[in-house]
Amino acid sequence: MEELRLVTSAPPHLKSPVTVPWIMQQVVFALLPAAVWGVVFFGPRLALPPLVLSVLACVGFEALDCLAFRRSLTVGDWSAVVTGMLLGLSLPPGCPFWIPLVGGGVAILLGKQMFGGIGQNIFNPALVGRAVLLISWPKIMATWYVRPAFVLQPAQAATYATPVDVVTSATPLGIVKAYGYPAVWETGPNLLFRLFLGLIPGCIGEISALLLLLGFLYLLLRKVVQWDIPLFYALGLSLVALLARQNPLFHLFAGGAIMGACFMATDYTTSPMTSRGRMIFGFGAGALTGIIRWLGGYPEGVTFGILTMNALVPLLDRMLPRRFGVKKA
Amino acid sequence: MKLRTFPQGVFLPHHKEDTAHLPIVRVPEPSRVVLPLIQHAGAPLKPLVNKGDTVKRGQKIADADAFVAAPVHAPLSGKVAGIEEWAHPTMGKFQAIVIENDGKGEEERYEPLPETIEDLEPERLRVFVREGGFVGLGGAAFPTHVKLSPPQGKSIDSFILNGAECEPYLTCDHRVMLERTEEMLLGLRIMVRACGAKRAYIGIEDNKKDCIDHVANLLRNFPIPAEVVPLRTKYPQGSEKHLILAILGREVPPGGLPLDVGVVVNNVQTAAALGRMARTGLPLVERVITLSGDCLNKRGNFEVPLGMLLEDLVDFCEGFTAPPRKIIMGGPMTGITQVSLAVPVIKGTSGFLFFRNAPKKREYPCIRCGRCVAHCPMRLLPYLLGRLAEESLFAEAEDNRVLDCVECGSCAYVCPAGIALVHLLKLAKFEVMRRKRGGK
Repeated sequence: MEELRLVTSAPPHLKSPVTVPWIMQQVVFALLPAAVWGVVFFGPRLALPPLVLSVLACVGFEALDCLAFRRSLTVGDWSAVVTGMLLGLSLPPGCPFWIPLVGGGVAILLGKQMFGGIGQNIFNPALVGRAVLLISWPKIMATWYVRPAFVLQPAQAATYATPVDVVTSATPLGIVKAYGYPAVWETGPNLLFRLFLGLIPGCIGEISALLLLLGFLYLLLRKVVQWDIPLFYALGLSLVALLARQNPLFHLFAGGAIMGACFMATDYTTSPMTSRGRMIFGFGAGALTGIIRWLGGYPEGVTFGILTMNALVPLLDRMLPRRFGVKKA
Repeated sequence: MKLRTFPQGVFLPHHKEDTAHLPIVRVPEPSRVVLPLIQHAGAPLKPLVNKGDTVKRGQKIADADAFVAAPVHAPLSGKVAGIEEWAHPTMGKFQAIVIENDGKGEEERYEPLPETIEDLEPERLRVFVREGGFVGLGGAAFPTHVKLSPPQGKSIDSFILNGAECEPYLTCDHRVMLERTEEMLLGLRIMVRACGAKRAYIGIEDNKKDCIDHVANLLRNFPIPAEVVPLRTKYPQGSEKHLILAILGREVPPGGLPLDVGVVVNNVQTAAALGRMARTGLPLVERVITLSGDCLNKRGNFEVPLGMLLEDLVDFCEGFTAPPRKIIMGGPMTGITQVSLAVPVIKGTSGFLFFRNAPKKREYPCIRCGRCVAHCPMRLLPYLLGRLAEESLFAEAEDNRVLDCVECGSCAYVCPAGIALVHLLKLAKFEVMRRKRGGK
């Protein structure tokens, strides 16, 4: 018998086909419907540059960081693409070109690489980038361009001396903060329906609850994420909305709540490892989102709600599940 | 059909279709067998024969005074060619008795048991089991008589026969349940009587529906209360603790044994071999194994004498279609890779798998996806224990229950970052145990 060249290795000798890049690619796929809708609704001129530049910035800054610190290139794991997508989708359409560049740089360098790269960061990188942009350039981050056809009736448009390309509008949550909760219900009929489908001004990829939920359903079916964080996020947010005597459905479908619950709070690295931890985490993030919207200075609370709960993850991870063979933990 | 199972665990591609339909083939006696002096979990044996002695098939050739040990018998008649160090499938090298076949086929048998098992003294049955050299044939190779001897103050109410066979590729237990059913049920009665259980359960995964039906049919008019429990096909369903949880809803306490919750578990093939000895008086000298994988010419389920060398088995299977890169003893989830074909079949050998390729999963840093936590059947946090092991924080690993790990490998299977989690956990367990024993 010929000489055999045998390999030894530790069991298990079977490994699941699921890999880190595959997971990240699934998240990108899941975000595509909302991204496409953003481009269709706002038009490519308003929506595409922030999206594309954000992805390029995130991937580029990660590559630069790896080169600068002489680490092996990690962009092949696709996680920077996910961060770029999440950041780009949560930017206002028509924002200046440098906003996604700065946001992407902050997200990747401060939010991720400074902690040691993938898997090591405490805070969701996309939200770190967004938070810095919100605090530093509040006016830009609250200027909502839409196509004129969306807000102007043809007769109205004709009254302008020269045809306009874009006009600014207000988001439903912005209206609530500026004019009070009842005012938002006077902006037109079928408000909840328009919120659910995404026929409203807002961030590029956050307007259509329906398409985001479809994307999330895809991730559920592919067993990439679990349902616990989004469900408890929705419960937390709804509870606060009820306390504020406001419609929970309005709060779920307005702003970035669905995006936050399904795609930001479910980030593996910055959410708890146990099911019980994830439920508390999701509930807390949802409740904080509602509290900031209701009582805070910002119209939207998703970013700071989730970031706050990110900080509690190490604590939540100290809760061990009930021990096998022991009645009570 | 209502299927029982345990929480968490993993669904694996089970790859059993290659050999599950192939009846057991008896392999002819080889010219030589090698019997290591340790083939069970427990104390090593002392040889009872010397170089040059002639031995008969069934003759006891090694034993120990220790309680947790099982004697070894000669699987064929011949001459002791030597007692020497030999390649061992799980321990590198170990002392072994080498017997050259003389072809005379002389036998030495124990006295068979009467069929009236339920009238026999449990102690007599335990001695019978011990003398027969029985160990768990599922792979763990724990001496069977020890399991059947509940210590003072513990009483056993349930006996579970483990027909889960949850490891992919392996089908030897499947065939034994189909083809050795009468012997298996006789062995079951002996074990139930020996440990004093009131009721017996036979747990079989639902990817072996033929076994479920066949065994259930033969249980009609059975002398003792017994039932087949169909189980959902999920890994590690055949782990004692998880089989007990699935069938009886009881959890074995940390550091405890099945008898702490009134249960004894044994493998179906152990029962079949015991039943055969009860009828013929021939002790444990052969077993059924599966030879499978993607590069063996003749795959299947084979009845082989203990001590038969892997190279002789490969010859019997007409060699390889392509040179294997990886040879595993046991299943792919917990099996041990082999470095040579000189290793013998031992009592705990459930099979050998041969693979053309040895792919390596690319490793990434942990992304905290939580899959290891969600799938761990012991509700551990493998990601944390793995990191503690890497940083040599063994006291912290113990605080985080690393000793509860059953080493099933589910964590490493599901890890998308390709981290060798179960390996790290085993390392931590080993270190914690070493320190407990006073090692530095």
